[in-house]
Amino acid sequence: MRAFKRRRGMYAARLDTDERDVIAALVADVAELLGAGRLEARGPEVVAAGDGTPRMRIEPVPPPSDPAVRRLLPDASHDDPQIAAEFRRLTEDDLRAGKIERLTRLWDALTTPTEGWRADAFVVAPQDAQDVAAAITDLRLVLAERLGIRTDEQAERLYDALLDSPAAEVADDPVEILDPAARRYLVAVYGALSWLQESLVDLLLHDLRAPGRPADQ
Amino acid sequence: MDDVPTQTLPDASVEQEEKTAVADPWVTIVWNDPVNLMSYVTYVFESYFGHPRPKAEKLMKQVHEQGRAVVSTGSLEAMEVDVQAMHGFGLWATLQRSGQ
Repeated sequence: MRAFKRRRGMYAARLDTDERDVIAALVADVAELLGAGRLEARGPEVVAAGDGTPRMRIEPVPPPSDPAVRRLLPDASHDDPQIAAEFRRLTEDDLRAGKIERLTRLWDALTTPTEGWRADAFVVAPQDAQDVAAAITDLRLVLAERLGIRTDEQAERLYDALLDSPAAEVADDPVEILDPAARRYLVAVYGALSWLQESLVDLLLHDLRAPGRPADQ
Repeated sequence: MDDVPTQTLPDASVEQEEKTAVADPWVTIVWNDPVNLMSYVTYVFESYFGHPRPKAEKLMKQVHEQGRAVVSTGSLEAMEVDVQAMHGFGLWATLQRSGQ
């Protein structure tokens, strides 16, 4: 894996086949959590998650029971259930559809080689980079929830664990359903995605702050 | 200045404050989380709200160090748009009445 760099007017990272497969499978998992079905199995007719038809929900939408999904579609009020419920009724369908659509495009990009580039190039057009960065955030939010990361200190320990001993405990109350091997695997994927996202956001910030300068210089 | 006749114009600053209080009764708050990168949060504040870099970085640090920051103020409808955008970016945002 190599970080994103500016190349030929695009943002390009390098991911080998195994790395692509791991990330694409996670993308499909998160899309499925959001209700998309399996991206691998979709037919051409179900590519669009939302069909653009305005919908108005009359009935309230209950908050997601899976805490990872609830982190992706969080409550819009800390202390007022009515505000949170009304916001969920008005926005949750759109938010879900937008996240699924973004993940679907990321999955397609990960599983389709870019013509004219080396086989391990993962190429993102500057205008798509914000969506890719946001989709990676959703992946990391789900991984962190599964790993039981709730505080900045736990996240710090996770990065330390990556550098020192991958077997170190990350959460105070480790999630019991994860065996140590599965945990190590998720920690490694989380660390790699964080690093990849940081390199992409660095490019986005750089280009945002230099408006006179085209992204492809 | 003693010779200047007493002005009968309303107190502009008080009126401005009242106007703001009426026009911006809601706020959007972004909460700290252990996942989002500091650079990403800064990027969201710069690109979505159009804040200059120093303001975006100040708000990001406030979120990180104090646990939360008010990132926008306005009508309920406007705050719903901002909160939805923040959730789209993967930031945890809430809305509440200003001054609560």
